[in-house]
Amino acid sequence: MNIHLKTAGDHIRRAPFQALAAFFVLTITFFVVTTLSILVYSSGQALRFFETRPQIIAFLKDEVTPENISGLQNKLQEDVRVRKTVYVSKEEALEIYKKATADNPLLSELVSPAIFPASIEVQLADLSYAQELIEDLKKQEVVDSVGFTANLGGEDTLSQAVNKLRTVTWYIRVGGGVFAAVQVTTSLLVLMVIIGMRMTTRRGEIEILELIGATSSFIRRPVVLEATIYAVGGVFAGWFLSFVLILYATPSLISYFGDIPILPKDTLQLTYLFGIILAAEIVAGLLLAVIGSLLAVSRAKS
Amino acid sequence: MLTFKNVSKSFGKIQALEDISFEVDEGEFVFITGPSGAGKTTLLKLILRQLLPDKGEIILEEKNITNIKKRDIPHLRQQIGVVFQDFKVLYERTLKENVEIALAVINFPRKEWDARVEHVLQLVDLHERDNLFPSQLSGGELQRLSLARALVVNPKIILADEPTGNLDWETADKIMDLFEKINDEGKTIIMATHHKLIIDKMKKRVIELKDGKIKEDIVVKKPRSKKTQDE
Repeated sequence: MNIHLKTAGDHIRRAPFQALAAFFVLTITFFVVTTLSILVYSSGQALRFFETRPQIIAFLKDEVTPENISGLQNKLQEDVRVRKTVYVSKEEALEIYKKATADNPLLSELVSPAIFPASIEVQLADLSYAQELIEDLKKQEVVDSVGFTANLGGEDTLSQAVNKLRTVTWYIRVGGGVFAAVQVTTSLLVLMVIIGMRMTTRRGEIEILELIGATSSFIRRPVVLEATIYAVGGVFAGWFLSFVLILYATPSLISYFGDIPILPKDTLQLTYLFGIILAAEIVAGLLLAVIGSLLAVSRAKS
Repeated sequence: MLTFKNVSKSFGKIQALEDISFEVDEGEFVFITGPSGAGKTTLLKLILRQLLPDKGEIILEEKNITNIKKRDIPHLRQQIGVVFQDFKVLYERTLKENVEIALAVINFPRKEWDARVEHVLQLVDLHERDNLFPSQLSGGELQRLSLARALVVNPKIILADEPTGNLDWETADKIMDLFEKINDEGKTIIMATHHKLIIDKMKKRVIELKDGKIKEDIVVKKPRSKKTQDE
């Protein structure tokens, strides 16, 4: 076995409670970080879901010509208040209706495309433009009526819902970031204290090693390795706990949030998401270990 | 091999060494002797670059070690074997590991460790105890372990600071036999000691220090001849 790895292992065996303290603190840290990362991802997904769905639907009169439609659509596309427009024909409207009533085929059997109006779905650059744009659309000759995203009610409700979601997302991101930073700092300090204690107990050994010609990196290596063992162990344990917890809760969450894709529905995609988080956490854990141990060593040597 | 040129070192108002000059040839065995506080340990610490002289030059193998950079000090020490009065062994490692760590320090190829370690442990007669811990050894055995660790890296020079200071006469005698054997194999040894009996018995060159100055530099041959510092 590598002499430095053996030294690191010996240190851990000789002071198991210090080692456990470091391991548990890092496990908690990375459990929190993983869970927060998922929360940030989910809130972002929810926000994107609401922000990117059409907020205003302009139902067109039956007699409109394709030229009228493209004229209106081009006008809207050039409008700075509009992010995106989508034309939905009568046929497409029927398909949407059929999809929505798939659990009750009788409802769609007797309908034809003719009874559905063609429409232009409008996604706004900002919801504050909604009222203004609705009024403008109502004045258009080709427009029969103007509607809003049905399940969110009127423009006020929609605006409030999205604003609320934005606030929640902001709190999750900033609050979560601060909380994670506090956790990471605590872990760094715990690592530094433990490595510092290790350096103090190894003072005699270090003196001997220096006298027989050991370089600074030779002396530092077992210490950095020890910190790395704690960090990588903590990353895997914390990540695994969070993964199991979220995997367990995913079916309930998905059914509760319905169409809102707060988590990938496919297990493979969910695992991929967790894989990315794990990779990032391993890098963070290694950085934490290297920075913490080097700071502790330089403090102990000075 | 080693040259001291007008070396002085003081600690505040205390003049530990004053204008010391001498040369040590390759394969020589030199005792540095003198009363406590004469400057013996300071002299060894200067060679090991634990201390820097205030004045003068120390040349080891044609290299002035007084002006080497701090990052090169480990490399210098890797060429020097050191034996201490208090052994300075690692008590949490076995005998074998204590010797191996010196090889790890010089980055010696791992596959050649066993043969090297076995050879030096045999030389100091500890090969049958290689899995014991230092706490299970006697003082003499600890000093032999310390010597094995110094030898394993095949140093150019061995510095020994009162290696018999903590040993009874009989054990000290055995350790000195070992040093003589190593010297006979061509190793340069500089040993600080005030053990008169040992110095007399060994009949080697003696540099006697007093108040930080060289009082006598005696090359003991049979019969004894005297070489003054002026030579």
